Amino acid sequence: MNKVDPITTQVIRNALKAAADEMMISLIKTAHNPLIYEVQDFGLALTNHRGEMLAEGSGLPGFMGCLGPTVRSGIRELGAEGFAEGDILLANEPYETGTHISDTAVYMPIFYEGKLVAFSALMAHWADIGGKTPGGWCPDTTDIHQEGLIFFHDKLVEAGELNQTFMRFILKNVRFPELVHGDLNAMIAACRTGARRYVALCERYGASTIQRAMDQVFDQSEAMMRAKIRAIPDGLYTASVNMDHDGVELEKPYRIAVAVEVQDDEMRIDWTGTAGTVAGPTNHPFIGTVAMAETVLKSLTMPFDPMNHGHTRPLTVTAPDNTAVSPHYPAPTDSYGYVAEMVVHLIVRALSDAIPDRCPAASYQMFGCVFYRMDPRHGEPFIFIEPLDGGGGAFPHGDGPSGLVFVGNGNAPNTPTEVIEGRYPLRVLRHTFNLEGAGAGKYRGGFGVIREYEMLEDNILIQTMNENTINKPWGLHGGGDAGVSKAIAWAGSEREAEITQRVYFFGPFNKGDIVTQISTGGGGWGDPAERDPALIETDLRNGYRQPGEPGAGATP
Amino acid sequence: MTRERLAIDVGGTFVDFVSLDEDTGEVRIEKSPSSGSLERRFFEGIDNLAVDLTALNTIIHGSTMVINTIVQEKGARVGLITTKGFRDVLELGRGNREEIYNLFYRPPAPLVERYLRLEVSERLGARGELVAPLDEAEARAAIRQLKAQDVEGIAVIFLHSYLNPRHEERMRALVKQEAPDIEVTISSEICREWREFERSSTTVLNAYAKPKLARYLRALQGELARRQFPGALSIMQSSGGITSLQAAREGPVRTIASGPAGGVIGVAALGKQLGERNLIAADVGGTTFDVALIIDGQPLEQTEHRINRRPVLQPTIDIVSIGAGGGSIAWLDEAGGLRIGPQSVEAEPGPACLDMGGELATVTDAQLLLGYLDPDYYLGERMSLNVRRAEQVVKERVAEPLDMSLIDAAAGIVHLANMNMAFAIRNITIERGRDPRLFTLVCYGGGGGLFAGFLLNELDAARAIIPLNPATFSAWGLLNADFGEDYVRTFLRAFDAVSAAALKSELMELEAEARGRFAQNGVKPAQTLVQFHAAMRYYGQEHTVKTPIQPSDFDDGLVSLRRRLDEYHERSYSLKLPEANAEIVNLQVSIMGVASKPIMKKVSSNPSGSALKGERGVTIRGYDGRFSAPVYDREGLGAGAVIEGPAIIEEWTSTALVLPDQSATVDDYGNLIMKRAQA
Repeated sequence: MNKVDPITTQVIRNALKAAADEMMISLIKTAHNPLIYEVQDFGLALTNHRGEMLAEGSGLPGFMGCLGPTVRSGIRELGAEGFAEGDILLANEPYETGTHISDTAVYMPIFYEGKLVAFSALMAHWADIGGKTPGGWCPDTTDIHQEGLIFFHDKLVEAGELNQTFMRFILKNVRFPELVHGDLNAMIAACRTGARRYVALCERYGASTIQRAMDQVFDQSEAMMRAKIRAIPDGLYTASVNMDHDGVELEKPYRIAVAVEVQDDEMRIDWTGTAGTVAGPTNHPFIGTVAMAETVLKSLTMPFDPMNHGHTRPLTVTAPDNTAVSPHYPAPTDSYGYVAEMVVHLIVRALSDAIPDRCPAASYQMFGCVFYRMDPRHGEPFIFIEPLDGGGGAFPHGDGPSGLVFVGNGNAPNTPTEVIEGRYPLRVLRHTFNLEGAGAGKYRGGFGVIREYEMLEDNILIQTMNENTINKPWGLHGGGDAGVSKAIAWAGSEREAEITQRVYFFGPFNKGDIVTQISTGGGGWGDPAERDPALIETDLRNGYRQPGEPGAGATP
Repeated sequence: MTRERLAIDVGGTFVDFVSLDEDTGEVRIEKSPSSGSLERRFFEGIDNLAVDLTALNTIIHGSTMVINTIVQEKGARVGLITTKGFRDVLELGRGNREEIYNLFYRPPAPLVERYLRLEVSERLGARGELVAPLDEAEARAAIRQLKAQDVEGIAVIFLHSYLNPRHEERMRALVKQEAPDIEVTISSEICREWREFERSSTTVLNAYAKPKLARYLRALQGELARRQFPGALSIMQSSGGITSLQAAREGPVRTIASGPAGGVIGVAALGKQLGERNLIAADVGGTTFDVALIIDGQPLEQTEHRINRRPVLQPTIDIVSIGAGGGSIAWLDEAGGLRIGPQSVEAEPGPACLDMGGELATVTDAQLLLGYLDPDYYLGERMSLNVRRAEQVVKERVAEPLDMSLIDAAAGIVHLANMNMAFAIRNITIERGRDPRLFTLVCYGGGGGLFAGFLLNELDAARAIIPLNPATFSAWGLLNADFGEDYVRTFLRAFDAVSAAALKSELMELEAEARGRFAQNGVKPAQTLVQFHAAMRYYGQEHTVKTPIQPSDFDDGLVSLRRRLDEYHERSYSLKLPEANAEIVNLQVSIMGVASKPIMKKVSSNPSGSALKGERGVTIRGYDGRFSAPVYDREGLGAGAVIEGPAIIEEWTSTALVLPDQSATVDDYGNLIMKRAQA
């Protein structure tokens, strides 16, 4: 086979990246659901005809890594000859697609001159998927069928022809059919955009040149990754943690354990020691576990290189069957995010023994609540989703960032107080740093956040999302652990109570009642005794630390 | 008094001067380096052009003073006073993680440290109603505390002040009593939009840039007075409208994009002259590539932009800057992939071929090796280029490691640079719901001429225009600006919860306020135009669409307004939802004081000089070998001249390359209009 020249290779690589970006633009601009255009709760990619990723758009870390396996699962299920030009397929059975069924993958085979040459694929959180909790983030399911509609490589569009019956069936079985319909159209349009760009590229360079060029790029990326892994000291690095609870068995913490083995230019990540499949929906499908591991490896080694299949070749991920990171049908997975996030933090923690200068301490994890009132008899219905920002783990070379969203919520911005008060019957009394509970250290953890809400009307309920109410974000290399996150109901009254369970109903709250959410900070890095006096001075000047506190140095 | 006006545009590498004789349309240009004291460069250029200041009536200035102050973080020491419970808003920001793969992501540090952010008891509700009065004792104490900390400026931002500025205005009065020497900026005088973090950021940036801009403007004003300049100095704003000196001094954040705005206004003016209503403005400089769209004759605007990752709530021409240009560095990544930019070499030492000690291979070095630039005619004859040095760096840094010939490597560098720009334009256009093939591309800036032909092919655009004097085109653009002020006010109401009468009266109130403030600027144009816009969206959406509206729209209730939303939404996103509930997010009033426009001078069809200067060997990727291309002197080309590619057209500040299968026609005004042969 002729080698494709380096200039053409680079142009093709850039063009595929631009095509994936164009898919993303198309999706964001036409989606109706804020989870897509604001939270960017999606991933997009172009893969080759074998389901190996050529280029990704942006989106949540880990999502893109699920798309290759989803396409490969489709090829296994239908056979390469089972696809026709113009098909658009749906797939969301989590054990084959990696996250939860709300993230339904939509993908399209791409044909050129009658031959299957590639796939455009995306996965986005649907506004609703027909499960027991509206919007799909069930806190307490015990099997997957409670979580909603399951698709398994089903053709919504067959050879360019929309299957009307299938579409009507979907829309009849979800709660917000208009939103879902709008989003589905946006997803179909995005897949078609990717296909159109890919075909245009084939017309210019030929399908085989693109394939050969990208095989070369895979080899280059693989070589680069191997060099990066070779630079990590060989060894076996382990970490484990107890998570608060699975949402169903509230008194029972469960363990996630990882062993990272670095040998020459290969890395193996194994999850032996992790708790068996849990009763509640915090199981994380293995495909997602692999994708998250790939994401972490790339973040640690070459965060800014556009990702492709080649980067993942030197990594092997293994786990025993039927654990919280490798569940099988019919395990519930709807709140998979708690574990997905921990998969990231644990790998970083394990590797911090090998490459301390590249591994931050642990950050706070998912925390927040949803304020809502559904029954119009109790007042105008509304729903306000409020994930709370928190503290990031300290860096090996600086204090952790304060008031940043947890990793799994990507680029999602918080809601301004003026917007909350303009739209919902709530008044925010405080939005400020939580100065307690950031881990001390040579570099301290970032600060969590306090937000306090007063109800201006009656009959308001909340749904809770929480982690770190028991397990604390850890410090590294002598840095202190952070504190715990907590939500307090009826603050300042006789009924004052701390909320630790994850439930769909909590309340009702009435006019004048106060709810306070307090997220914890991140863990510290390094021995607090080594803290730079200039940083101590800055902390004291700004009231971040009081004289005499750990990490605050001697009383001046 | 001759009717002459002067534009002065400060860029990253050069200060450009364009003077225009309003009677004859005669244009003269000058460039000087933008290093060193800007006040001095300003008058140096005036002296070099031999402009008679006593006979001049207008100077229009595009300035980088504010943007540089902010980017280099060399602004004033600022204190912040805000609502009790919210002192950390400026540092909390919106909490989003812009680089999701970056484990070390960190938002920008606040420009006001926590100990200089003080809280005062006061509270307004979400409809602007009083919840708790301003505690004046606390307020005075906070001011004294900041005064004791030697702040130069105080920014005041209270929650919901965009609806009711009363507490902020009282606070401003208290600062004037307690600390008359401290500059104060209250959020409601800078922007009337909701979202407390973005408003805080904008207000703080204003206070931060104010003292330095004031000093600069005072220095210019003093020297202009000393030289008996009888006219007015006007400043370009980010919105593309010019404003008076005193208004610019009070609102520095309105002039952040003062620099690139001139070129976009110039493209709109050129389009008007040529009858083109949809244009892509592509400004190719040494280090950045700025792209903006002109739709239906109007530059696309946005109500918010970012500077150094910090949000600014101000109407701004929607300009996207990309790290690409002649100075972009060609480098190999760890896997041996060839990359171009986004880093570029500094103005000094510049590309290797400038022979000032540059060690890196740049796009300019590659262009020289391919024969696009004349080593002995760079910036006219003011500079010469060293081909040896260019050969050396391209060979060492690209050709040898990739095992390619020198010429293939150079052609590869230029090709990748072209493609990066084409992808960028394509995605910017599509992101704004437009198809690049339906646009006319206008390429200007010193490097515009060498990219235009490639971009024309890659984008499949209708045609490409290289204006006369492309390198100083942005300064020429300033001469075409009108006085303009934009007022935006958040007015969030659902369609089913607002009456047409309420909307109309809000709009009229905003117009009255805008006219009042416009009059205070001290500008007295012959003619004043007012335009109204509304930003609306379907319920549940985040993105809004901005549509022009008329007060008369409300005569039929909300029917016309709703129709406009559906129509504009469909135009931008190929989708409309006439049944869905929708909301109005903000109302905008733009006041335009129409300034007289320069006439464009026609060029002769029989110029005196000879056009053909000679021939040069050039190499173009995709065409075999090195072939000979005629080299023309642009000044020698008369109106109607048609040049078939391949050809090179030179003028003293810029060079244009016409590709094979393309032609360039000189129009009546001296613009080069490039087309593909088959088009």
